[in-house]
Amino acid sequence: MNEGDENANDEAIESPVSAERIDRRLLELLVCPITKTTLEYDEANQELVSRKARLAFPIRRGVPHLLPGEARHLDDKRQS
Amino acid sequence: MSAEERAIFDRELVRRRRTRHARQAAETTFLLDHAADDIADRLALVKRPFEVALDLGAGPGRLSARLAAMGVGLVISADLSAEMMAPAGGLRVVCDEELLPIRPGSMDLVVSGLALQQVNDLPGALIQIRRALKPDGLMVVSLLGGRTLFELREALVVAETETTGGASPRVAPFADVRELGQLLQRTGFALPVADSDVVEVGYRSALELMRDLRGMGWANPLRERRAHAMRRDTLQRAVEVYAERFARADGRVTATFEIVTLTGWAPHDSQQKPLRPGSATARLADALGTTETQLPEKPERG
Repeated sequence: MNEGDENANDEAIESPVSAERIDRRLLELLVCPITKTTLEYDEANQELVSRKARLAFPIRRGVPHLLPGEARHLDDKRQS
Repeated sequence: MSAEERAIFDRELVRRRRTRHARQAAETTFLLDHAADDIADRLALVKRPFEVALDLGAGPGRLSARLAAMGVGLVISADLSAEMMAPAGGLRVVCDEELLPIRPGSMDLVVSGLALQQVNDLPGALIQIRRALKPDGLMVVSLLGGRTLFELREALVVAETETTGGASPRVAPFADVRELGQLLQRTGFALPVADSDVVEVGYRSALELMRDLRGMGWANPLRERRAHAMRRDTLQRAVEVYAERFARADGRVTATFEIVTLTGWAPHDSQQKPLRPGSATARLADALGTTETQLPEKPERG
């Protein structure tokens, strides 16, 4: 029932990205879900920042979470 | 009423359900596979390469994997739940289909297999898909249509009315194929096509069906659902009603899934389109070798 999964796994292995790092090609295709403006990549904090929406979206294990509910408001202090 | 109060689906609940049942979902894939195969078959008929594609509501990645196997250069899987997508591998993004984080004009292809029936704002989602496409980019999305789970809906209403004296919404409403076709046109897609395919699945009982529905991340996502879980006697009665009314000759019960597939292209000048009314350069009467007959004035349409 799971034959298709092999393909998915092959894809992951062939991809030149490590599990933790976001793919640059993906970055170019993503925009802020609310304003559709370009996102800035904050590599140190692993966040994608929408200046216009004043939101920072987390990147977890190389996967951007572009849900407004999961974003940090830029005016809030970062939790350390 | 605010937009949130008007919303039919609780999207946060949809996300939590998809996350909670992620492991089971990786095993309950027969319907998703059916939908993925169907979309892959349709794409195989399109004689052009697709460089960049988005699989919306990718779930465990059944369709994404097929796109990669077909030679699509870059496949992005998108889902509300990171956990649901864990088996998908490749490029992934967690997002809401109603708030698409895709650069406008960047996609050659957007596909979706049985995910968009759970969005509140389907016109909005379709418009965002169209904008994400390059000119002449293709969208092929399938979603559950109006006849889906009519048996379960009926069994639950009958059982709940009998046991509690009232019924609450437990099966989501699904849009009709004709409405979806019109919606496709209204949202600005060129060469729009909507068609429907009915899949009947045999189950040992309604319980097995409900287990599968949860497994596909489709447990009741309605905002107006009752706060309490279904009473045991209601559930028991629903299983009986289902078996009485929808049994097959082989002793199993039938569950209907209507899969509506919407196909459309982002507009481009190269596409065939109808001429403007009144732009004809030859008379029909000449072509037919006859004389034109003036019709009497029609009465005003009321």
